[in-house]
Amino acid sequence: MTDPQTPTEPGAAAPGVPEVELRGIVKRFPGVLACDRVDLSVAAGEVHALMGENGAGKSTLMSVLYGLQRPDAGRILLRGTEHAFTSPLQAIDAGLGMVHQGFKLFPSLSVTENVVYGAEPRRRGFVDRAASRAKVADLVERHGLHVPPDARVGDLPVGVQQRVEILKLLYRDARVLILDEPTAVLTPAEADRLLDVVRGLAAAGRTVLLVTHKLHEVMAVSDRVTVLRDGRVTARMATADTGPAEIAAAMTGRQVDLDRTHPAGVPGTDVLAVDGLTVGPKGGKPLVDAVSLRVRAGEIVGVAGVAGNGQSELVEALAGLRPATAGRVVVAGTEVVSGGKGASVAKRRAAGLAYVPEDRAEVGAARTAPLADNLAMGFHRRAPIAGRGGLLSRAAIRAHAASVIDRFAVKAASGAVPIGTLSGGNQQKAILGREITHDAPLLVVEQPTRGVDIGSIENIHTRLVEHRDAGHGILLVSAELSEILALSDRVLVMYDGRVVAELPRAAADAATIGLAMAGGTPGVPAQRTGDDAEHQAADAASEPVAGAASDSAADTASDAASDAAFRAAAPDSPATPAPTEGEADHA
Amino acid sequence: MPDVSSPAAEKPPKGGAAARFSPAAAARTAVFSPVTVSIVAGFVVGAIILASTGAAPPAAYQAIFESAFGSDGIGDTLNKSIPIVGMAVALAIPLRAGLVNLGGDGQLVLGALAAACVGLYSPFPAPVTVVLALLAGVLAGGLWASLAALLENACGVPLLVSSLLLSYPAVSLVSYLIRFQLLEKGSGIPQTEKLPEGVRLPEFAQDGGLGTGISIGIFLVAAAALVFAFVEARTAAGFEVRMTGRGARFSAYAGVDRPRLTLKLMFASGGLAGLVGAITVLGFPFRLVDGALTSPGYTWTGLLAALLAAASPLGTLVAGFFFAALTIGGFGMEQETAVPQQLTSVLQAVIILFLAVRTGVFAKGGWLRRFRPGGRAPDPKAAESPGEAPVDDPVEAAVKAAVEGGR
Repeated sequence: MTDPQTPTEPGAAAPGVPEVELRGIVKRFPGVLACDRVDLSVAAGEVHALMGENGAGKSTLMSVLYGLQRPDAGRILLRGTEHAFTSPLQAIDAGLGMVHQGFKLFPSLSVTENVVYGAEPRRRGFVDRAASRAKVADLVERHGLHVPPDARVGDLPVGVQQRVEILKLLYRDARVLILDEPTAVLTPAEADRLLDVVRGLAAAGRTVLLVTHKLHEVMAVSDRVTVLRDGRVTARMATADTGPAEIAAAMTGRQVDLDRTHPAGVPGTDVLAVDGLTVGPKGGKPLVDAVSLRVRAGEIVGVAGVAGNGQSELVEALAGLRPATAGRVVVAGTEVVSGGKGASVAKRRAAGLAYVPEDRAEVGAARTAPLADNLAMGFHRRAPIAGRGGLLSRAAIRAHAASVIDRFAVKAASGAVPIGTLSGGNQQKAILGREITHDAPLLVVEQPTRGVDIGSIENIHTRLVEHRDAGHGILLVSAELSEILALSDRVLVMYDGRVVAELPRAAADAATIGLAMAGGTPGVPAQRTGDDAEHQAADAASEPVAGAASDSAADTASDAASDAAFRAAAPDSPATPAPTEGEADHA
Repeated sequence: MPDVSSPAAEKPPKGGAAARFSPAAAARTAVFSPVTVSIVAGFVVGAIILASTGAAPPAAYQAIFESAFGSDGIGDTLNKSIPIVGMAVALAIPLRAGLVNLGGDGQLVLGALAAACVGLYSPFPAPVTVVLALLAGVLAGGLWASLAALLENACGVPLLVSSLLLSYPAVSLVSYLIRFQLLEKGSGIPQTEKLPEGVRLPEFAQDGGLGTGISIGIFLVAAAALVFAFVEARTAAGFEVRMTGRGARFSAYAGVDRPRLTLKLMFASGGLAGLVGAITVLGFPFRLVDGALTSPGYTWTGLLAALLAAASPLGTLVAGFFFAALTIGGFGMEQETAVPQQLTSVLQAVIILFLAVRTGVFAKGGWLRRFRPGGRAPDPKAAESPGEAPVDDPVEAAVKAAVEGGR
């Protein structure tokens, strides 16, 4: 099999011949023209960004290039030679390599074993382990990837696993590396490291095709950009000559305000009162530690924090999906948790709780069920969907779906399509639409724009503010500081299961929140904590509101490295408790 | 608010909806559906097996068809449909919500036992006794199945396990009672006394030259299937069942009380199984014979039928009837040709296997996808997030649910 070696110099092809060239690619699916005469030209040794919103045709185009799909028309040329791949294996042989969003690794095997799998160096018919290790170590060294060759892949943080995927491609001597939304699963710090790796690869003569919808990455690392919208190329630009606003406009077809903030709300009465809510194993360390908070009608309360500091558990305990061990929760005047005993989900919803969960695909929707049925859920026991004699009215289900689809601008052929066939942004708009339509006094929203495209993010934010202005209270949990800052009237920061800071809108700036997220006390920055938190905060703040979307996808829980950094940064002594409810309210 | 993503404004209807509902496309979809293809493939593989043993496949298949649907066989097929369709529908009820009831045998024999006891010892007039016997069967099967549900709800024993394991003691208990406490006096066969004259379900088509008549139990089973179909399609409870089958976490999130749903569905499932047992006892030979309900494997044939139909109510009815016809046809084939009836079991197994391997044949990129219009190719939008591509077909989901034990 192939030996790892540096790719043949780009000069092997005639100068000026693109490394990868797609000409007039057309790909149709029933009812959808996914790629409409797309041309793409990638020069050797460049980092080329392929941008577009979800559903713009990026992934389809890459599937065509990688041999996963046959184009209906068009040609694929690599260094001037035409190819017609019928399987990814042929594409790999031709020097292409792709890192998918979901990694394809054996967690229980070592890095070396994963890398050489399927193309092991052999000695007298047996796998030559020493040679395998040496080759992998050499690749790691040469490309500065910092991956321990003998570590078990399952023990490595997500960011390092991704570099193992890249190693696999390098080992197979891929000249062109296709990275599909590579930072979707990474923390900001890991994403930065990845972008360094990408630069290094390009410097070493490899060509990188970066598929993404994140503007700041493109600005940071790419040489040229091709933008797709609705299956067509809408812009081809040199990164140096353009800016985020121009790219965003090409992606969405209109001007997008990247730094919008919304006017403050006018709070009314409490719609959510939480006192001393504790969640966690009996006798163990609580995941949510005596949290108290208020959400009033007409305000958005943001809960910030690095993922894994108890936000998810707090929300699940509020929604009734996880038992509380102590505390009291009152939703719009109805006590739903008292002394750790909680009411059923149905009772909480009846009391006035609507909820957009973090896990859109598994919790927020039944993917294989029709969109209309997904939208009818929760409305199916009352008029008009439950008609005379308690029988469901199909007409009412259709009408309800049509109204939500229309009001929330969900792109779907009809209510009959399975919700799982919609893009992430449209699924989220549908789910948000359903929950907002409940008109419940309290809306709990968890990571509303994770993995959602830029156009939908703006739409979703606008809807949330409208919902607030209509007199509803919103508890917004987000790992995106920029999102919290853009929407919240009040910001709570969770760290280690506790609310460690409560800041009114005026006092909530990225630096202060970032510090609290790292466990520091606002106003009293510890020496080590300060650096770390500022870095983190600056990181979050530097992202435009929209582009930030799914950076967060990184579940920091799985990211041992950065988690450890935070723990190290946190002083052992408990942080100063949050200001009391009253203080914060008056501030 | 300016918003280009408004669907109506920006895009014409994507054609998908219109194309999907055209009769031609619907016919193509039906012809190339996994179920049809699996059945055809089953018969093709069966033909190969037949040919390899030197038998003539066309003759054997003709014998199956004629024995099952000919004037001599249709009555038998209908009678055989009672337990097979009945069990299929019984098991489809929880399967629709992604719950697998593997305890059909226990619920079936307990229902039969309850009906036999009521039939033998009831002091009431025969017609009343018949009704009571049927109700007792429902109650016995339903309560036993509920016990499995309670074990899952209260103790966390997976339903798959609790229902299956509860089945064995039930079958053994009934066997013991038949062989000792209820044994017919002076009989060498392990069976209860015959039910008193008149304590039996009426039969029709008695004079059709079909041997025995057809029990009106078939109407009870058909009614059960229709009620299931109606509840499933038209009521809020049925909606919750369907949505739970599509996404258990989603339905919990939306407020469906899963333990209660499990309990209700298991009672309905076991109740129908018990009813099937009662109907059997109240028909020829009007007594409970040890092994008569378990050794033909009604539970397993029924489960296969439910899987074949993805637990869709009317589909289950049809699939159950199809398997009953295969069984009867197999007997006939054995008599008329030299081919053993076990061939029909092979056919059943091959059909289900083909359904199960559909991930290879029908999955995206699989060769069959190209022939099936609408939704075959991965939707490009879904493709944006790999790993999220939904299972586009409820059968697949049901098979998956069955494999994963409904958890």
